[in-house]
Amino acid sequence: MKKLLSSLAFSALLLLTNSCRSGDKNEGAIEITLSGWQSNPIESRLLEKVIDQFEAKYPNIKVKHEVINSQYMDVIKTRLIGEVAPDVFYLDAFEAPLLMKYEVLEPLNSYIKSEFNLADFEPNLINAFKRNGNLYGIPKDFSTLALFYNETAFAKAKIQQPPKTWNQLIEYSKKLTLYDQTGKVNQYGFGITPELPRQQFIIQAFGGELVDRNHYAAFATPESLKGLQLVIEQYRHDRSSAQPSDVGASSGDDMFGQGKAAMMLSGAWTIPYFKETFPNLKFSTAEVPTINNRKGTMAYTVAYVMNRKSTQKEAAWKLIEYLTSEATMKESGSQGFALPSRRSVLKGLDSDRHSLYAPLIAGSTYATIWQAGETLPTILTNFDNQFVSALIGQQSLKDAMQKAQDTANREIYLSN
Amino acid sequence: MLNKTIWNKQSTRETVSGYLFMTPAIVVLGIFLIVPVIFTIVLAFYRVQLLGEVSFQFAGFKNFVRMRSDERVWIALKNTAEYVAIVVPIQTILALGLALILNTNIKGKSWFRVAFFLPTVTSSAVLTLIFMWIYNTNGLLNSFLGFFGLPTYNWLGDPDVALKGIMLMNIWATAPLFMVIYLAALQDIPESLYEAASIDGAAPWEKFWCITLPFLKPVTFFVIVMGIIGTFQLFDQSYIFSSGSGGPNNATLTIVLLIYQYAFKNLDMGYALALTLMLALVIMTVTLIQRSLFKEESLD
Amino acid sequence: MIAKSARSWIWLLYAALAVYAFITFIPFTWALSASFKSLPEISAGGADFIPKAFTLENYKTIFLQEPLFGRWLANSVMVAVTVTLFNLLFNSMAGYALARIKFPGNRLLFVLVLAVLVIPGQITLLPKFLILKSFGWLNSYQGLIAPALVNATFIFMMRQFFLNFPKELEEAAALDGLNRFETFFQVVMPLAKPALAAQTIFIFMGSWNEFLLPLVVMSNPEMFTLPLGLNAFKGQYVTYWNYIMAASMISTLPALAIYAFFNRYFIQGVTFTGGKG
Repeated sequence: MKKLLSSLAFSALLLLTNSCRSGDKNEGAIEITLSGWQSNPIESRLLEKVIDQFEAKYPNIKVKHEVINSQYMDVIKTRLIGEVAPDVFYLDAFEAPLLMKYEVLEPLNSYIKSEFNLADFEPNLINAFKRNGNLYGIPKDFSTLALFYNETAFAKAKIQQPPKTWNQLIEYSKKLTLYDQTGKVNQYGFGITPELPRQQFIIQAFGGELVDRNHYAAFATPESLKGLQLVIEQYRHDRSSAQPSDVGASSGDDMFGQGKAAMMLSGAWTIPYFKETFPNLKFSTAEVPTINNRKGTMAYTVAYVMNRKSTQKEAAWKLIEYLTSEATMKESGSQGFALPSRRSVLKGLDSDRHSLYAPLIAGSTYATIWQAGETLPTILTNFDNQFVSALIGQQSLKDAMQKAQDTANREIYLSN
Repeated sequence: MLNKTIWNKQSTRETVSGYLFMTPAIVVLGIFLIVPVIFTIVLAFYRVQLLGEVSFQFAGFKNFVRMRSDERVWIALKNTAEYVAIVVPIQTILALGLALILNTNIKGKSWFRVAFFLPTVTSSAVLTLIFMWIYNTNGLLNSFLGFFGLPTYNWLGDPDVALKGIMLMNIWATAPLFMVIYLAALQDIPESLYEAASIDGAAPWEKFWCITLPFLKPVTFFVIVMGIIGTFQLFDQSYIFSSGSGGPNNATLTIVLLIYQYAFKNLDMGYALALTLMLALVIMTVTLIQRSLFKEESLD
Repeated sequence: MIAKSARSWIWLLYAALAVYAFITFIPFTWALSASFKSLPEISAGGADFIPKAFTLENYKTIFLQEPLFGRWLANSVMVAVTVTLFNLLFNSMAGYALARIKFPGNRLLFVLVLAVLVIPGQITLLPKFLILKSFGWLNSYQGLIAPALVNATFIFMMRQFFLNFPKELEEAAALDGLNRFETFFQVVMPLAKPALAAQTIFIFMGSWNEFLLPLVVMSNPEMFTLPLGLNAFKGQYVTYWNYIMAASMISTLPALAIYAFFNRYFIQGVTFTGGKG
């Protein structure tokens, strides 16, 4: 018992002494916090280096870099509510409308000087962070989707060129689907990710829309279904496509990397990932095949945004300005995990990078940005919930989409 | 008269020591948990906006009325109830069985004890990967079933079996916890009880039925209540299996997943809290029914 | 006759135990083996139990390249040990009062303890966070320790255990002139070793693996606990399964060691199937 008591006393002492911790802040130095996630540990280290350069340039500003690697938006929202959110943080375009609506972000218009050359950014990406004429974020980088294809599998099937149209893709998928002696598939033609972030452009291919003007779900129209039906038909009737869980892979990338799918749509991040994880994989990229003679793909973008409650707004802007400046973007890049958001830097990349990135860059001019107003989280949940059930044949696509749309819209209506 | 004052004095002393014993619990739970509980109860009757401009608007029973016509609430309740009804009895019986066996003098019991406990210490991220590998159409489980000529399933994709897959995983991961509690409880049975029974010529199963089981009653009440609470609050696995959507077609939707979607994804805090209150009432009701079934009370 | 059928029963029992042990053992073993594989080998999706190319690189990277690893480990140990010690004392006291002391409000307090349990953690997280913030305890050890000093689940568990305690012991203690506190510390606690051992295992494990609260309370990397710090290997695009497997082994072992150690308190059991020896 004595032992227990003494260790209790010891712990209590520790508690007390630790509560007296105090920071050793330099007199006059301003401290700002930057929060984000990391693609990989190396990226974090590169960012630290850029921050060091920034601190060397502005000796009176100290930057604290914090990495949140799980439930990023839940943590950011919690910290925003608690008013202890970082001064500058990453924000995905998908989540931006909600935070812009609640006015927790600082409008950046008044900070931007002409030397910053805002016009240099892809207008699509800038627009994703605008609301009522205010700009709330400076795009950090982006990626589109491109068609990834396994060169070895193509050679075996004697296919010379990647598909240019979706009909060709379906055609080739049949040829690329291989069976073993027992009749089990050991390579599917096409790997799919049946989630809305990857399907929005398909909804639009025949003139459909994901949401209407008031941000209500509107994807159960015949036009939208026509596009989505292509995905369903291929999976159900041709059986030449598969989702990752069908083959025991944890993601579409892994399914492709393991050789269980000969084609897939994916983004820039896949290229360095494959080099590291599947060094022997021979693959190439092409633009996403046209649907209904229209080019289309998705684009995902992330911006640096400023907390409206930040007490060091000038310093915070200096950091954003530095991180998104042409010089920094050119120098540090994103290791190929994403594409630079400035057109001048992108051009430089276009000419001297290998052709693997070219289709991704080409897509940036016609891509659909993954974003659709503050109701998107509700729509996303309901779409994903029902689309999979149509995919596995539990109900018709039409019924599934109608159900998803109705449920989403009732929830949107009731929460307004 | 005299008797009464002594009694009073004693009961006062008991009250004081009772509260002294409870003080740390009252302080800590009071600050960190009772406040959140009150927060939940009160705000369930409001429209709440916490992000940005904070605002509260009294909504009366609106959040509760909304629940009635929310089909997903009923589906989630149904899924969760099915889950509770299947998982709790199986994991309780499994835990009790394992504990009884491991409490005997069988050979290698220390090794069995460690092996059986492994699922509990394996991290959930790793478990997910392993289960993806076990559950996929060409995975270990289907190979195993196929080997014995049993039907195989698409464990991850087919909504009819997706929830069953999660159930299996949950039983596998939580039974060892309750096994340990039963093991601890078995140590407290006074040997004298068994000896007395032996003298009376009781058969082993009679000893089990008339001594062991009654003795384990309070702990079983705990195990079942915690099992019910844990399964009613199922979240992690269904979140991971459906990447948060509760699909396909709501097959893996649970109440807490629904609460999470409203609280964090839609920022509809008032409704999320109303759902929480409903869940709490359901669990409390089930627990009270339990309690009356167990007729568990010893103070009087 | 009887002996023979008993023997075949025993064999059946062993077979069942072996099958169950297999089911619990395989996933862990697979994770252990994966922690010695390279990322390409894990991602290739093979189900081999023996790494094709055995490597210690994953462990080396975690131990050596992560400058804060030692700090995270120290934080985790400090928080888990403190929380466990306080819980053992406080939960047992509260459980004892609820089970053995008759006082007005006893039932109400018990119902409140249960009420605390039925509100899911996802909901209490935000108010907890706001309370900790108002105390100025974000990014501090108190922020993780204070809310975890008692645990309603184990107050409930200890209550159930104490319900079974023979009344005669307390009566004897009372005759010896011991007051409630002396009875509790000198008579009751020493006899509650199995329950305390079970509590130690669970509370240590719970605190050791706690993720959600540290995730929102700790923003300063130096204050991270082990699970939070090791989560860094789960990148936004690339999941480093090799590091995650190694990291999970590192964080599993202390919990397993605690379990194995405290298991001794469950061993001197009484057998109900047959006489001992």
